[in-house]
Amino acid sequence: MSSKRYAPLLLAGIPALFLFFCFVVPNAFLVTTSFLRSESQALTNEWTLENYEALFRRALYIRAITRTFTIGVSVGALVVVLSYPLAFYLVRTTNRWRNLLIALSLTPLLASVVVRTYGWWVLLHRDGAINEAALALGLTDQPWPLLPSTGAIIVGLTHSLLPYGVLTILTALNAVNPHLEQAAMSLGATRTRTFFHVTLPLSLIGIAGTFLLAFTLAISAYATPSILGGAAIPVLATQIYNLMMTVLDWSLGSAMSVLLITSAILLTVIGTMLGTRRASL
Amino acid sequence: MIRPWRILCGVAIAIYAFMFAPIVITATVSFNAQNQSRFPPSGFSLRWWAEAIDPRWIEPIVFSLKLATLSAAAATLLGLPMAFALVRYRFPGRSLLSLLALSPLMLPALVTGIGLLQFLQLAGLNDWLGLPALVAGHIVICMPFAVRTIAISLSGLPGNLQNAAMSLGARHGMTLWTVTLPLIKGGIFAGATFAFVQSFTDYSMSLFLANAESLPIPIMILNYIEFGFTPTLAAIAVITLMIPLILVLIVQRAFKIGDFLYSAPSHG
Amino acid sequence: MADPAVELVDLHKTYGSAVAVGGINLTVEPGEFLTLLGPSGCGKTTTLSMIAGFVEPTSGSIRLGGRSVEKLPPFRRDIGLVFQDYALFPHMDVATNVGFGLRMRHVEKKEAARRVAEALELVQLGHLGNRRPAALSGGQRQRVALARALVIRPAVLLLDEPLSNLDLKLREEMRLEISAVQRRTGITTVLVTHDQGEALAVSDRIAVMRAGRVEQVGKPGEIYESPATRFVAEFIGSMNFLPGEALADAHAGQTCAVRTAHGVVEGKVASSADGIARGSSVSVAVRPERLRVVEQAPSDGLMIEAKIEQFVYLGSKTELHARSASGTLYLLEHANDGLRQSYAAGDIIRMTAAKADLLLFPDSGS
Repeated sequence: MSSKRYAPLLLAGIPALFLFFCFVVPNAFLVTTSFLRSESQALTNEWTLENYEALFRRALYIRAITRTFTIGVSVGALVVVLSYPLAFYLVRTTNRWRNLLIALSLTPLLASVVVRTYGWWVLLHRDGAINEAALALGLTDQPWPLLPSTGAIIVGLTHSLLPYGVLTILTALNAVNPHLEQAAMSLGATRTRTFFHVTLPLSLIGIAGTFLLAFTLAISAYATPSILGGAAIPVLATQIYNLMMTVLDWSLGSAMSVLLITSAILLTVIGTMLGTRRASL
Repeated sequence: MIRPWRILCGVAIAIYAFMFAPIVITATVSFNAQNQSRFPPSGFSLRWWAEAIDPRWIEPIVFSLKLATLSAAAATLLGLPMAFALVRYRFPGRSLLSLLALSPLMLPALVTGIGLLQFLQLAGLNDWLGLPALVAGHIVICMPFAVRTIAISLSGLPGNLQNAAMSLGARHGMTLWTVTLPLIKGGIFAGATFAFVQSFTDYSMSLFLANAESLPIPIMILNYIEFGFTPTLAAIAVITLMIPLILVLIVQRAFKIGDFLYSAPSHG
Repeated sequence: MADPAVELVDLHKTYGSAVAVGGINLTVEPGEFLTLLGPSGCGKTTTLSMIAGFVEPTSGSIRLGGRSVEKLPPFRRDIGLVFQDYALFPHMDVATNVGFGLRMRHVEKKEAARRVAEALELVQLGHLGNRRPAALSGGQRQRVALARALVIRPAVLLLDEPLSNLDLKLREEMRLEISAVQRRTGITTVLVTHDQGEALAVSDRIAVMRAGRVEQVGKPGEIYESPATRFVAEFIGSMNFLPGEALADAHAGQTCAVRTAHGVVEGKVASSADGIARGSSVSVAVRPERLRVVEQAPSDGLMIEAKIEQFVYLGSKTELHARSASGTLYLLEHANDGLRQSYAAGDIIRMTAAKADLLLFPDSGS
């Protein structure tokens, strides 16, 4: 029946068109703009590479880029290290509140990042809870300048992205046949040895996926670095906002955005090749 | 279960504490007697909550609710046929379409927001900024959730249901209405719920597309943070957590959307 | 006398109010092949899991080789386990899989390699050491699983429905191989299965389980020829039952006369019955292959007149499904001895069986 052949077109046509105009085109615009020169806060029609040159030459931007990627790697690693034990516990526990506990570990996702970062601010700033405790305990006689700092950003982002890590590793661990662990134990491996010889290798994909996911999200994060780092500790996202909305240098802002886009695509490709994500449904 | 397990339990508790500390702190600050964002709080007072129910704050919350509902509904409506096309048919360009459907998850929402801003401004469509642009942008970042959960539901259906229905005399439309759609209810509601939460908590996209009349609550909070942290802000923050939480709880009761979480890692 | 290889004493396992295993007493002698046989949900897998150490008993004791093991984790029990889904480590090749247990026991590399090769030869997979499990067929995976469990020379080999995932022909081949391997190595083996053909074929003894309890333990011949309870009679092979009324009191094992719709017959009371009282209702049980079609009514004993409903030709045997006037449906099996005898639906036949082939079960509702 000829209508069968057009069915996919009819079904996917409108959504696809929508995505094309509201997603593909705007991103294409960005890429284009990054190659145009900006003068006195307006875009010109001149093609140029000076935006990218500026990105990789000016110390300010180089620092922001390096800082952003350092944060990305640190957050990625920390999220893996913290979410793995929690995910492992959730998969293996026989606690009857297990489903509730899993839901609990994902609840922070429901709060806007702003909400969560606010709490960190309260903890970390000069007169915040941690400093109060430190002063009271005599650990120091001057409050620690925990904010603003790269470290604070790393802590805040790790905290935000932890639920994603738990989710990814949970899925990976669930895919490991429990009989495999039983088999290992029946062959003489203690629980610890079973973990290192069987469970961990088989969940490596989940670990890689978590790292990539956390990294990608961390390098493009805005709210947490903005609140916990502010103007003193710029990262790519805050710089982009600055350039686009305040300085109105769209060319440079677009170039930075393209940097983010490229990183994201690269990481997705790596992830797909490693098998951490499926490229299609 | 012996020693290593006990250690693991302890570690798990510590991580939970880490996860919830900031949220709990924010909540307690909102009850602080004095106008300070201190922890531990120096007294108990509900006055910040009274201040929070001020139209100044209610407006953005209501706006966000409106925005999220619109975006989620549209994303689900658009995602449904997309999912059908991807799951039920084989055609050249299918993997490309699949990539398109899921790609908004791969790129930072920030970037898409900027792109949309540029696009609209350069195309002279400035008055589309605000609600229309926000809805469009949010649909973009919400649609992948709907497509994914509905696709999961669809592929989980036994292959021969449609054939069985047709052999009994039902035509395509009837089969869809009486057989397929009821069976993928879970996927549809899961997608809509995740989409709602994504829209309600989004700030990356809203940063660039909002304006004075169309202010989602996360942006409002962000703006006010610049003036300093006040307990009122904390109260608002708790409210913005409660709303999606209650929604998820209600929907989870009716449909087991939790099952879809395992396959729906999202992008902030 | 050496300690039994496996001893289960009053073993219980309950989950809340649900009783999975309700008091099991079993011993397995060294070198013996014991099968736990029963329908799903009867507690056989739970029992095996308790022997292996993955499930903790609610009460009762488990002794392996004379030593009490309830407190011991699985990796200290000196067992070998073969799972229904084989549970081969997908990220290791066959040789590494098989050598895993040796590695855990810190066996020296060369020695381990030698033993792995030996084990693979034992299951006829010597050439496949480098392959990954994913590249093997179901039957091959099964053999790797067996080799892996055997190479560590465990005191007890535990098999949890190892053949359920194989198709019929392969299952029949594999069960004989398992039996052969067990005889060659002499390892005490406990097999769990729901397949009674399998149990009959490989076991030294069978323990038939139902609802968490053991209904009968015995050699395959005993289980088949002298089932202790009606459940065992029905579960193993097929059985015909005709209702009757006891004409005297009798104990288990005694002969008793019973009045049936087809005359007065004599049969042996089943071994698990407390006894039957005169006048109580009993079922007379006879195996399908013990029924014979006769031309003339015998002078005494059982004579069932029935009308054929179906005649089924199965190659090596034929089945007759015939219904008597009183409504009972009988199954008669006849081996294909070359003599052509054809029956058609609607024919009336007369069937009889020898007195020795009749068993009596009290109708106590169970």
